[in-house]
Amino acid sequence: MSALSDIIERVRSVIFRRRDERELAEELAFHADMEAAQLERRGVSRAEARRRSALALGGLERVKDDVRDARGTRFLHDGQRDVAFALRTLARNPGFAAVAILTLAVGIGGTTAVYSAVDAVLLQPLPYQQPGQLVRLYYTDVRRKEDRGVVTPVHFLDYRQSMSSFSSVAALFLYSESGADIGTGDAVRRIRILPVSADYFDVVRVPPTIGRPFGPDEENDAPVVVLSHALWKQQFGGNPSAVGKSLTMNGRSYTVAGVMPDGFADPLAGAVDAWVPGDLRPGRDPNEADNHYLSVIARLRPDVTIARAQAELDRLSKTLAERYPRAKYASARLDPLKEDIVGNSSKPLEIMLGAVTLVLVLICVNLANLLLVRGSDRAREFALRAALGAERRRLVRQTLIESLTLAVAGDVAGIAVAYFAMRAIVAIGAGSIPRLSALTLEPRLLVFSLAVASLSALGFGLLPALRAARTQPGDILREQGRSATSGGVQMRLRQWLVVSQVALAFVLLVGAGLLIASFQRIREVPLGVRPEGVLAFELHLPDARYDSTARARFYETVAERIAALPGVVSAGGVSKLPATGDFNIWGTTPLTGPLANADRGNIAGQNRVVSGRYFDAVGIALLDGRLFDEHDDVTVPRRVIISRAAAERMFPGVRAVGQSLTTGGGPREIVGVVADVALDPQGRSGEGYVYHPHRQFAGDRNWSLVQVVRTTGSLDQLQGEVRRVIASLDPQLVMYKPMPLTEAIGRGEAQRVFTLQLLTTFACVALGLAALGLFGVLSYGVRLRRREFGIRMALGANGGSIRRMVLREGMVVTAIGVVIGLLGAVALSRVLASLVFGVSTLDPRVLASAAVFMAVVAAFAAYLPAHRATSVEPSSVLQ
Amino acid sequence: MAGEPGELLQGTLEMMVLKTLSLEPMHGWGIAQRIQQMSKDVFLVTQGSLYPALIRMKRRGWLTTSWRVTENSRRARYYELTPAGRRQLGLEEASWLRASAAVNWVMTGRLLPDGGRA
Repeated sequence: MSALSDIIERVRSVIFRRRDERELAEELAFHADMEAAQLERRGVSRAEARRRSALALGGLERVKDDVRDARGTRFLHDGQRDVAFALRTLARNPGFAAVAILTLAVGIGGTTAVYSAVDAVLLQPLPYQQPGQLVRLYYTDVRRKEDRGVVTPVHFLDYRQSMSSFSSVAALFLYSESGADIGTGDAVRRIRILPVSADYFDVVRVPPTIGRPFGPDEENDAPVVVLSHALWKQQFGGNPSAVGKSLTMNGRSYTVAGVMPDGFADPLAGAVDAWVPGDLRPGRDPNEADNHYLSVIARLRPDVTIARAQAELDRLSKTLAERYPRAKYASARLDPLKEDIVGNSSKPLEIMLGAVTLVLVLICVNLANLLLVRGSDRAREFALRAALGAERRRLVRQTLIESLTLAVAGDVAGIAVAYFAMRAIVAIGAGSIPRLSALTLEPRLLVFSLAVASLSALGFGLLPALRAARTQPGDILREQGRSATSGGVQMRLRQWLVVSQVALAFVLLVGAGLLIASFQRIREVPLGVRPEGVLAFELHLPDARYDSTARARFYETVAERIAALPGVVSAGGVSKLPATGDFNIWGTTPLTGPLANADRGNIAGQNRVVSGRYFDAVGIALLDGRLFDEHDDVTVPRRVIISRAAAERMFPGVRAVGQSLTTGGGPREIVGVVADVALDPQGRSGEGYVYHPHRQFAGDRNWSLVQVVRTTGSLDQLQGEVRRVIASLDPQLVMYKPMPLTEAIGRGEAQRVFTLQLLTTFACVALGLAALGLFGVLSYGVRLRRREFGIRMALGANGGSIRRMVLREGMVVTAIGVVIGLLGAVALSRVLASLVFGVSTLDPRVLASAAVFMAVVAAFAAYLPAHRATSVEPSSVLQ
Repeated sequence: MAGEPGELLQGTLEMMVLKTLSLEPMHGWGIAQRIQQMSKDVFLVTQGSLYPALIRMKRRGWLTTSWRVTENSRRARYYELTPAGRRQLGLEEASWLRASAAVNWVMTGRLLPDGGRA
């Protein structure tokens, strides 16, 4: 009963607060009037009576507060006033407010965006049913179990037939990116297609929403296609009757079998527009069990562990090794699909996570520092207000509300920063980090960051108020003008905060420095080509209109026509750009020379097919013999050019030109030796290259040669001219993915670039924060010691010595921070090891540069306060 | 010291307010005056303690309020006991009498008539 009336009364007072306030004022005024009237009746003068009655009231406002307390609405009333007061106080010091809010925003935004990225890429399960059952199957060599390679169709068909541990297994033709030209005339464009085996949609357990998947009987290059949701919308306006209709790709008519659901993403490929059945007809390939090009994924049966499946696979591999003598060392290994997908990118993301955590700590420290300074600045204000009768509780609450106001503003700004930071991460990381495109701000993480940052704002904002509430107001007021002793204690705390900031910033600087040094090393790596001034683009010739003879002729013609353009030095084509990875590794054996037919002379040759003047275009030097010319066509015996490494391995001690070897299904005569070319941007070298003239090799398959054009002019201008040349030859063709060769080669480094850009950003933020912290702590110290400086100067110290004193203080703090940071860098060196190239993680030059950089920034941060210290007028402080 | 208006004993203010209001509905100033008079100027009730107490008591459902016009034709808020307030007054009176008697016994130093032990 009583509890109920209590609640009703409280609710009522909240709702009718305004009326209550008015009535309370009236009631109290009435009381005062009555009091005064009574005094007057007793013969006291009117004015005196008023004064006394007011006195008796013990302060009208105070009574009102007490009544509000009793009513339970005081917090509302005060809250409103406190927020208004907080806003006024903050507005009076906009610099402080801006820095605090900015700090919070960077902290919240940066952490949320990065944590969301890590969450999306590393932590979220794959977007398929029972993702734990999905595995990646790699070819491996029984002698080198760590190898992970692509699979031959021969082995794949055996796995599919025999593996009882798999409920389904699928092959993806990802070895080289497949595309198709659709549309006609000006509307012609290239789409990404992915040839897959029939079980593909079973493995991922995402069937087409309308229509059907492929059948095993269609794994023979059958002209059927499954469309992506987007392509379906675009080509058929989203009409369900599209199934059964035809779509012309590369000039060939395909029947639409089905349409995939909106948002379906392939586990291993990105942005696929259409799926076609891969050609798995047995015996089609000349190299059979020795020709690897399939990426294989499988779904385990629900009751089968990956270890059991691996055991079965090992048994099967032994049987297969006996069946196929050319692949006697072949075996296979299983990795969980998710690990396989994120494996490469987990390191950069983990480092990012570490970096952003450091930054978050730094930001909290900075905020603490800011609020502590502000708190000690206001210690006197609080003391004064306490002496004038303000309640402690009230003072504390007021600071709390001020911090809260700051935190809310920072949170709002933080959400905005998070949004933009996320967009930036997606933009930078797309292409090098899988699954990033699905990135959204993770609400739980946002709440977490908001909580951490807001709590630190509240906590550190409250600390000085609590301290102020504990001390006797008189003590602080008496310290007026003198260097406060309590300030001294705080000073030490703040110096340590700055030390920790310097240390954290130093660690990040070292990380960024190591990556920058790695990049320099990578740039310095001799690749064997001169990629500057070279334009590269893909040029695909549809089978429907180009047979092998037409292809052979076209690629030569287009190179000649492009070479005739002004400024162009030479043009050509190649089946795989230099320094972009392995391709067509075929067993290559010398047929003549000292190692003729010997096992020892056998190399894993990197085979490339070239057209036009490829070697001149990319800058590969001819060392011996000659380059290909128009006479190396189908009418003469097969000829090859090999690299120096291949020549030295296969024909040691003799001249390679004139010798012959076997690769790619038959004997070849060597007509030239060229310089070596690295296999990737890090300069990895293989066992040697074998180059085939496209004129002779066009019949093997549609090679889709990547064109390279060396020019002395601008690449942008060249691109337009080349496009016109192609259009004049065949307006249906697409100049696909034109880009500078430097960029095409740099592609493999995208991940490192991504990490570098992020880490550099973090390091800069950290450096800025540390400098800000140092600046703050020194400025504050200078302010506290104005008197001391005044005395020193009065006693004859000159400005220079004062300045040195302050600078020295800043440098000592920095030095301690750097030493601690150095220890941190040593501790973290193993984490960074995977990211660096050609430098030790404790490279003294990098460490020294980071320390010097830190010191320079610190000196800048310390200079202004040091300068200000010298501007103290002795007379003004000593008075 | 004696003769000066004194501080109220903790917790007795509400009881005295209840007692005052049990006679007739009254406004705040009237309550303060009545207590001062009845205590022969020993207790001085300030606004600072009176009005919060009135609000608390109202919240507990012991009082109701209404705006009325005084004999000097001014508007004032009048407080009136509810049945619950009346019951509360009974309870507090009883426990006060018991407690004050006990305090008296202690302060006058006399042993209880039949509780003494020689």
